[in-house]
Amino acid sequence: MTRPTIGRRALLGASAGLLAAPAIVRAQSGGRVVVGTWGGDYQDLLTANIADPLMKPQGIEVLYDVSVAPPRKTKLLAERMTRRGTYDVACLSDIDMFEMAQQNLFDPPTPDLVPNMNNVIEALRKPYALPHIYSGKVILYNPDRMDKPTSYNDLWDPKLRGRVGLADGLYMQFIESAALINGGSPSNFEPAKPKLLELKRLEAKVYPSNEALAAALNSGEVWATIMWLARGFMWKKAGIPITHAVPKEGATPIVFDKAVPRNAPNKANGWKWMQAMLEPSAQGGFAERMGYVPTVTNAPLPEALAKEISFTPEEQANFVKIDYQYVADNNARLLDWWTREFKG
Amino acid sequence: MATATAIGARPGGQRAEGFSLGPFLLVPASLLVVAFLAAPLLVLFRYSFNRYSPREFMVDAFTLENYARFFTDAYFIGVLATTVQVAAVCTLVSLLFAYPLAYLMARTESRWKSALVIAVVFPLMVGNVVRAAGWMAVLGNEGIVNHLMLSIGLISRPVRLMYTPFAVYVGIIAVVLPYMILTLQSVIEGIGREVEEAAANLGAGPMTTFRRVLLPLSLPGVIAGGTLVFILCMNAYATPVLLGGPQFKMMAPALYDQFTRTTNWPFGAALAFILMTSTLLLTIVGTTVLSRRMHHRKLEAAPR
Repeated sequence: MTRPTIGRRALLGASAGLLAAPAIVRAQSGGRVVVGTWGGDYQDLLTANIADPLMKPQGIEVLYDVSVAPPRKTKLLAERMTRRGTYDVACLSDIDMFEMAQQNLFDPPTPDLVPNMNNVIEALRKPYALPHIYSGKVILYNPDRMDKPTSYNDLWDPKLRGRVGLADGLYMQFIESAALINGGSPSNFEPAKPKLLELKRLEAKVYPSNEALAAALNSGEVWATIMWLARGFMWKKAGIPITHAVPKEGATPIVFDKAVPRNAPNKANGWKWMQAMLEPSAQGGFAERMGYVPTVTNAPLPEALAKEISFTPEEQANFVKIDYQYVADNNARLLDWWTREFKG
Repeated sequence: MATATAIGARPGGQRAEGFSLGPFLLVPASLLVVAFLAAPLLVLFRYSFNRYSPREFMVDAFTLENYARFFTDAYFIGVLATTVQVAAVCTLVSLLFAYPLAYLMARTESRWKSALVIAVVFPLMVGNVVRAAGWMAVLGNEGIVNHLMLSIGLISRPVRLMYTPFAVYVGIIAVVLPYMILTLQSVIEGIGREVEEAAANLGAGPMTTFRRVLLPLSLPGVIAGGTLVFILCMNAYATPVLLGGPQFKMMAPALYDQFTRTTNWPFGAALAFILMTSTLLLTIVGTTVLSRRMHHRKLEAAPR
């Protein structure tokens, strides 16, 4: 039996072809874009609302690098000296994004690159990133067990002893709320400390994750917490017995931003992603399933949904204005205090 | 023996002069270790002397302040103390639990022996995080334990078991137990059954046989298993985070927090080296004490 032989030239030719193949495919298509994002619902919605309907038709392959925010921040920092980073688009909350932008990690977006940025809500604009979706910090409470709170201070009611739950990840939000009701301001969180220690004496419970807090709210172990309205909306949809109250101190916005790192390997596609995410068609999908409100003025929500998840013009006017610089400068110190004094 | 001599007596003594490939076989492994372990460790060690700044992130410096901060801060000393305590207790308890099982597995001639080994190894195929999730279902307020105690009227409302040190101890011991069992089993298998029979013949009861014969002979296994398990416990991350809750702090979660939540790499790096050094020191002290004892026993047992 004769064996089929492969000649030297044929082998060389085939290898060259194989090596070049991905490049050829990439050249024919629109290349790829690497998005550093959270997983779960958020990633599913990115695929359903941005990747599939808006990026695929341009021939751009979307790859996700999925993790929670801290590893993403760490990766951005670790790669800041390298010529080619991992991400073309990095998703972070507004506070984290500011902290990273301080290191000069991102290219500034311009209307030439992202024409849709002209529709972004004025108050959510920043020079280093674009806002994707937003919500606000409110009080979530169990209406069967307690009266509607009107102020963060109502959670300090001795009648709620042991019934206030806190998610560990939202330490800064609790510190801010406590500061606002104890004579502090967005630029001075110091008054929060005695106030939170008071809450500790009232046996407030700290849970390691939002999910653990949700389980505690569901079982009636705790009755109230401070949380993003969007998450409250999702929990309510999941059957957890809660509703929300906007405190008179004002809701604090939480914006999920996206930015294109200076060392993005496919920068042009990163900007195409940014343009796509601000399309009105892409924005609505996040509202219905996750409860986050569009960041552009040209994507109105159905009225019933808007009532559940968005803020009235008066509430918007009363938004707490975050002092990002103060938060970034004091994050380490305040987390240290939270870990030792409050949780310890 | 004859073969060994024949090889050793190869004519011409070529081995001494000729080219030997032997040492070069170590090159790939060594390169791998240098590239992926030693080099990052060195970089991290350098970082631990840098200075943290919230605006500039990490400032190049050569300062000992990160180490000084650790050793002058009661909170972090407390975290290290908790870590050592958890590691020591878990190592001891897993030794107590593992020994009888390892003995049984080493001595059994039943056809179920391989099934037993698989049963012991099986938990290693499931990740720590998944196992912690399992413990959550068992120990939670709505979990199996509380449900059982409530239904038999032992308690009137759920007892908090999750997010307690107890949950961490249980979780870590469950993780490390297979390592201890397997290490002990292999050593006990190497001890001839006849030494136990000889002891019994000479009138020693089961306890005396264990204390005077089996335990001293299996001490190398105890040392190896103890070392392995102690190191695993000292560096435990997922179990304390998931079962201990936000209030319970061990070193590995604390240093992870420094890197990710406060982006204080210099202090995180210092914590990493303090954890590594203390693990190393305690392991050396532990094994030295036990080996001395072993040596001492050997001398005692030697014919005079």
